[in-house]
Amino acid sequence: MKEVPMSTCEREFILKAIRDRKRIDGRQTYDYRRLKVSFGMERGCCIVDLGDTKVLAQVSGKIEEPKKNRPTEGSIIINLELSPMASPAFEPGRPTESGIEMNRILERNIRDSRAVDTESLCIVAGEKVWSIRADVHVLNDEGNIMDAASIAAITALSHFRRPDVSVMGEEVTVHSPEDRDPVPLSVHHMPVCVTFAFFDQGEFLLVDPNRSEERVMDGRMVVGMNMHREICTLMMSGGMLLVKEQVLRCSQIATVKVAEIIELIQRALDKDAQARQAGEKCGFAESVPTNKITTNRKEATAIDTTAAAQQASQVIQEAGPVDKPMSNMLVQAPGTVQIGEGLVNTWDVDDEDMESEEKEGREKSVTNGREAVATSKPTERKRPVKAGEGTVSHAEGSDSEEEETVMLFQGDDETKSTEEPDSTALMQPSNSDKPAKKKGKKKKAAQK
Amino acid sequence: MSSTLGVLSDAERLFIVHGVQDDLRSDGRACEDYRHVQVETDVVSNTSGSARLRLGNTDILVGVKAEMGEPDPGRPKEGKLEFFVDCSANASPEFEGRGGEELAIEVSNALQRIFNSRSTLDLTALCIIPEGQCWVLYVDVLVLECGGNLFDAVSLAVKAALFNTRIPTVVVTADDEGQQEIELSDDPYDVKRLDVDNVPLIVTLSKIGHRHVVDASWEEELCSLARLTVGVTQKGTIAGLNKEGSGSLDPESIYEMIESGKKVGMVLNSRLKEALEKEENSKREKIGFLG
Amino acid sequence: MAGLEIISDQGYRIDGRRSSELRKVCARMGVFTQADGSAYIEQGNTKALATVYGPHEVRKGRGKIQHDRAVVNCQFSMATFSTGERKSRPKGDRRSQEMSMHLRQTFEAVIVTELFPRSQIDIYVQILQADGGNYCACVNAATLAVIDAGIPMKDYVCACTAGFIQDSPLLDISYVEESAGAPFLTVAMMPKSEQIVLLEMNSRLHADNMEKVLDLATQGCKDVFAVLDRHVRDHVSESHALMTAS
Repeated sequence: MKEVPMSTCEREFILKAIRDRKRIDGRQTYDYRRLKVSFGMERGCCIVDLGDTKVLAQVSGKIEEPKKNRPTEGSIIINLELSPMASPAFEPGRPTESGIEMNRILERNIRDSRAVDTESLCIVAGEKVWSIRADVHVLNDEGNIMDAASIAAITALSHFRRPDVSVMGEEVTVHSPEDRDPVPLSVHHMPVCVTFAFFDQGEFLLVDPNRSEERVMDGRMVVGMNMHREICTLMMSGGMLLVKEQVLRCSQIATVKVAEIIELIQRALDKDAQARQAGEKCGFAESVPTNKITTNRKEATAIDTTAAAQQASQVIQEAGPVDKPMSNMLVQAPGTVQIGEGLVNTWDVDDEDMESEEKEGREKSVTNGREAVATSKPTERKRPVKAGEGTVSHAEGSDSEEEETVMLFQGDDETKSTEEPDSTALMQPSNSDKPAKKKGKKKKAAQK
Repeated sequence: MSSTLGVLSDAERLFIVHGVQDDLRSDGRACEDYRHVQVETDVVSNTSGSARLRLGNTDILVGVKAEMGEPDPGRPKEGKLEFFVDCSANASPEFEGRGGEELAIEVSNALQRIFNSRSTLDLTALCIIPEGQCWVLYVDVLVLECGGNLFDAVSLAVKAALFNTRIPTVVVTADDEGQQEIELSDDPYDVKRLDVDNVPLIVTLSKIGHRHVVDASWEEELCSLARLTVGVTQKGTIAGLNKEGSGSLDPESIYEMIESGKKVGMVLNSRLKEALEKEENSKREKIGFLG
Repeated sequence: MAGLEIISDQGYRIDGRRSSELRKVCARMGVFTQADGSAYIEQGNTKALATVYGPHEVRKGRGKIQHDRAVVNCQFSMATFSTGERKSRPKGDRRSQEMSMHLRQTFEAVIVTELFPRSQIDIYVQILQADGGNYCACVNAATLAVIDAGIPMKDYVCACTAGFIQDSPLLDISYVEESAGAPFLTVAMMPKSEQIVLLEMNSRLHADNMEKVLDLATQGCKDVFAVLDRHVRDHVSESHALMTAS
């Protein structure tokens, strides 16, 4: 399914806000959205919420034959799935280019930087090794899948426990979890990706773009870094041109962000470890907070209104003295006041003309007001015809001028005639002043 | 096959057909003349043998890699030859992605056909340990530019590459436990060469009007009704025959075409052999694509 | 690769270069006659061939047409005999698709596509021999091919790799050095304005060393630009001489 295109207004709005150093959701330029890491019942299962973006990672292990050219090493496979559940823009089946790019970045980040030790996955050299597979599924795409996926993948790998294996000569026994405690993978370091979105050819940059910011950005850069300030992967593409200083600045910002994120991951892992040890129930069911509405919970964000208050006071100061109030005010309805009677109708239409036109209108029985008055002068369209013989009345409750239903009555003169003075009084102001016309009809509807 | 390479107007078609009737082709050749052929071997360094061939506008690059593998169960004392043809997108935008696969399969099948017979290449020379290990030669053909007469060019290039192939000599020693160990010699000059004298070359004869032409350019291919591909060895024996195209051929004309194919094929074989030997003896600096 | 030193004690690498030396670059434009533009480049032992078709009408997929600019379509493929171990799939695997996408993004940023609305430019790159720096050879060859085809670009795009082994940055990594597991950075940039078009890094590199490596890669790109520029000027003056002589 194709994505709904973004309107130019929205695009311009977001870009202008960014140029004023403001973001639509109230964050600062280097702020992340709320990050929450939760674990499932099984080892190796983890869900990461980055704002509204939700990513699930599941790690599983299998014993396989090693590759011919690397007989003493196990293998790590990372697979990123962009399912249509995440966003209608993702199609099932073949991965898109962006999907492949993200998958490659994840692979390079974790596998090529040797975050997980593959030599320790060897059981019998040349014959049996562990093949660890991390499947990352995107459950909801609200921007910045890359960061969420990298956090999910490395957290799941740290959380995973593989069955213990003992080798006795030629025999290999795989111990079940009841027999011996499963063994964690040896994770050397935790590489986490930080995405930077660039706007205006690299002049403005944002960290953690959300969905709408992603659609407006010129290009992005992904920096994968770990706690020791080592850059594990760097990817800049997307048809944008950068200078060296911008790249270095981004890596410095990434350092700070990565430290915060890894701290959070560690805390989550520790909390989960404690919970499991204490024998408490853990898993997704437990991590969902109780007694709270789980849909659309927004955090209160402080908004700086001093600028607005200043501007308001400035406007008031600069405003000139108020004219003396009008004396002849007629209160029509609560909230509606009529001042004056408006000017004389300058449309140059006589009563006689109106009568003949009305006859023509009556000969065709139509329900669409537009058609009926097409025979008459166009100026008549917005003006209800008043005449002695028949009356043309508006459909009640209809505010739209185009959808007026013009009904022609006959023999209703007596009933209608009482309303005429009303209508005349009302119609005059509305004739002269087009924007007020709708108000005129609304007034009538309200009265009726 | 030729539909991938453009369209021809009726006037052009008529011009070509009339020219061929008078034994005069658009570029001045006679009906049995080949275009200028440039061949160079050993252009790619991490292969066992390679060759680049340029026949008019057609450019083919062939690389041969020799690897050890298990022989066919039905032929335990012989090595194997595997062909793989890749029509690169460089030749035409229509070969992008999987567009060139059909043509590639056709060429690959043609090659398999001519190499099928026992007398083409002595595969027993590729055997290391009978029923154990043998040399498997992966012949990879890369079509870089297609200007007509693909089959001829491919077979010429393959023959040149096989001529250039150097297989390291192996010494099979029996281990203490009775296991056989295979030792590859490290000396780059201690190599085995293949005897490619009997390898046939494909000659494509295209029927245009009432006559047939050899080495059709792509415009002539589009005018031809039917094509006959003949595999001809140095001695003039026919190694394979295939008729393609939607037109029909008279048995008489088939006989004529075969005769002329034999004649041309023998000349082609001997010229190629001369050129390859001259190149090998000459020690010239390799030009590759830079020349 | 145990026992094989990347940098010897005297500061020489395995192929005899110093740490900030590029490999020898040989190039040739106009290799094929049927393509609109073609080029061949050799960087050391890495050989790449690029052809450009276009701008022409968008053939497959009417959905790709852009009303205000040309669509750039790239394909990267490696010959099966290009690597040391035979490669069974020349194109279509993930790595090739990723490279194709990067090439496309690189050239979309550099070619003046606004001049050719509703059309398509095809760039096909073939690696004939892979010895490290594949992406760089592709980008350099494609730049020359686009120039040969006469398609206007904002500037040359030159690419170069730089690695960091044993505490010193190295320029133009070969395959042997790549497989030693050291981090290396691939940079594609426009040499005159020093703007980076594509940046890619593998393995682990400490953030403090980043600047040194980036500087070295930038310098390498400028050196490559000097070679390519001289070559293009020679080629054009030759062609001009041939045309005016006859």
